[in-house]
Amino acid sequence: MIRIENLTKSFTSKTGKGFKKETVTVNAVNKVSFECKPGRIFSLLGPNGAGKTTTLRMIAGIIDPTSGNAIVDNIDISRGNDEVKKRIGFLTGSTGLYQRLNADETLDFFGKLYRLPEAAYKERKEYLFEKLGIHDFRKKKLGQMSTGMKQKVSIARTLIHDPEVLIFDEPTSGLDVITADSIIDLIRESKENNKTVIFSSHIMSEVDLLCDDLAIISNGSIIYNDSFDNFKKEMKADNLTQEFINRVKEA
Amino acid sequence: MRDLILIIKKELKELLRDRKTIINSIVLPTLLIPILMFGGIKVSQMIQESNQQKKVKIGLVNAPEDFMQLVQKDTLNQISAYTQNDDFKTLIEEETIQTAIVFPSDWKRQMDSLSTATVSVHRNGTKDNVNGRVSRLMETYTTQLKEKRIALLNIPTEKMTPMVQQYVEVGEQKELIGKRIGGFIPYIFILTMWGGCLLAAIDLVTGEKERKTIETTLSLPISKFSVLMGKAIVASLLGFIPALLNLTGLIIGLNFIDDIPDTFKVALTEMLSPQSIILILLLLIPFSLFLAGLIISLVAGATSFKEAQSKASPIIILIIIPLVMALMPGIEFTWATVFIPVLNIGLGVKEIMAGTINIGMYAAMLLSLLFFAVLAIYFSYKKFSDENAILS
Repeated sequence: MIRIENLTKSFTSKTGKGFKKETVTVNAVNKVSFECKPGRIFSLLGPNGAGKTTTLRMIAGIIDPTSGNAIVDNIDISRGNDEVKKRIGFLTGSTGLYQRLNADETLDFFGKLYRLPEAAYKERKEYLFEKLGIHDFRKKKLGQMSTGMKQKVSIARTLIHDPEVLIFDEPTSGLDVITADSIIDLIRESKENNKTVIFSSHIMSEVDLLCDDLAIISNGSIIYNDSFDNFKKEMKADNLTQEFINRVKEA
Repeated sequence: MRDLILIIKKELKELLRDRKTIINSIVLPTLLIPILMFGGIKVSQMIQESNQQKKVKIGLVNAPEDFMQLVQKDTLNQISAYTQNDDFKTLIEEETIQTAIVFPSDWKRQMDSLSTATVSVHRNGTKDNVNGRVSRLMETYTTQLKEKRIALLNIPTEKMTPMVQQYVEVGEQKELIGKRIGGFIPYIFILTMWGGCLLAAIDLVTGEKERKTIETTLSLPISKFSVLMGKAIVASLLGFIPALLNLTGLIIGLNFIDDIPDTFKVALTEMLSPQSIILILLLLIPFSLFLAGLIISLVAGATSFKEAQSKASPIIILIIIPLVMALMPGIEFTWATVFIPVLNIGLGVKEIMAGTINIGMYAAMLLSLLFFAVLAIYFSYKKFSDENAILS
């Protein structure tokens, strides 16, 4: 479960030339609140620069919030984000993989850092390799892999410790339909296993396929937060994409 | 600790799979000193041999017979006779001759009256070989003339020799050579250390950003300090290993390269005793950590390899200047210089190699280097924890 209350993140930067410098503070995320329940897929949608990635980074303990709080799997992120990190599987467009390692070495590294028992880890790894079809290229260095192969390994490393909370930011971006389908399948499986899943995508057909609850973020603030069924009921436009565009423009 | 070891292992594995790192941190440092030693010796031998075989074109004016005979003794000297009015500057510039020796027209009279005559030597100061050979000729001739005068005046030789200097060397050969060349040794390994640390630190911090893996690393359930320490230790290792290989290369070079003068070889072998090597390596451990921390704090905000290099490269000046100062006469290893990073290593290594290191001062230097290493790690941690810098 994830519960977020008034989460705010401000970034301070210095602008100006020479000795005349001004300090500018911008709220990338402004008092954001929402709740993601176990066994449900929560979609966080928003245009580029809306504050989506910053919100997800705060939840994952990568950056610290300026104010507000977030409870992830019953742990307050302000009370030690390493504990939170153990419970999260975090995958975004900017969580790349180590190019000079192969799939086996990558998962070994993550497995050891998550302190997984040897037998359980091996079983889990083989299961994920089987499910995602990684066996054939498990010894190939990641730098020599195609985008699809890399994404499969990324998904495997996100799920290796069987986390209670999963965060997927555009997990199928740039992938062929077959690879995308296997990833969608794994996200569904996580939901069936009662995991808390945050799923963010610009592909509305995938949102339509997976989403249970929805929040739309624009300019750092939440402009919509309800169940996906209610969203669809309230829709004025003909399709999801248009409805999303209209909502962002109106905000 | 377990997490730190995992990070170190992973970073090392990644770096050592990079061909660029292998060449810069392992292959080059091992071969550098043997190549420099072998190449240096061969080149100086070749230059010496070629100089000895070169002809010297000498222009002579009013040269006395005995001087002409002395010049002609060396068959490589080519003599041409000129008059006092010739333009020797143009003749030397056009390379018709390389030097001109002008005796005064009344040379015989001056010699007979036992006066002091002035002999002009027209020369180009940059032609060391020609000038050296002409100087030797002139010295020999002057000695000949002096002996003739002494004989003529019937003065016993000992009366013209009021003093004979005799030097009794009390310093050991090791101390002598250690103080002279000991300053060059840190030059080589500190620069290779810098190169190794720089490449590794940029690859581990900026490289992670470029390869979009920094966020993956930060999402791991370990503290940022462990991540930073893992990177700093690996960067310092990649600086320390080349220095170690430099020393290994030096020892291999001494054992396998012929033509090194025996006195030099014996002194160097004595200087590089296990005790000296341990003392030098002990200094390099905190120093490599200091370099790694310093470079990481400089490149933490860089978004590309190029930007990182332009941010860190100017620091090389701060390393070269103290190293050059350590070679200057008059700058000694004292309680004042013992706390200045780089300069203390330059001076300290000289003392270690000469076998004259004061252990109290050595301990103070080691502690000061440790202090600077901790300071550099602290600053690098501050920068590494700056979200704006590290996730930019």
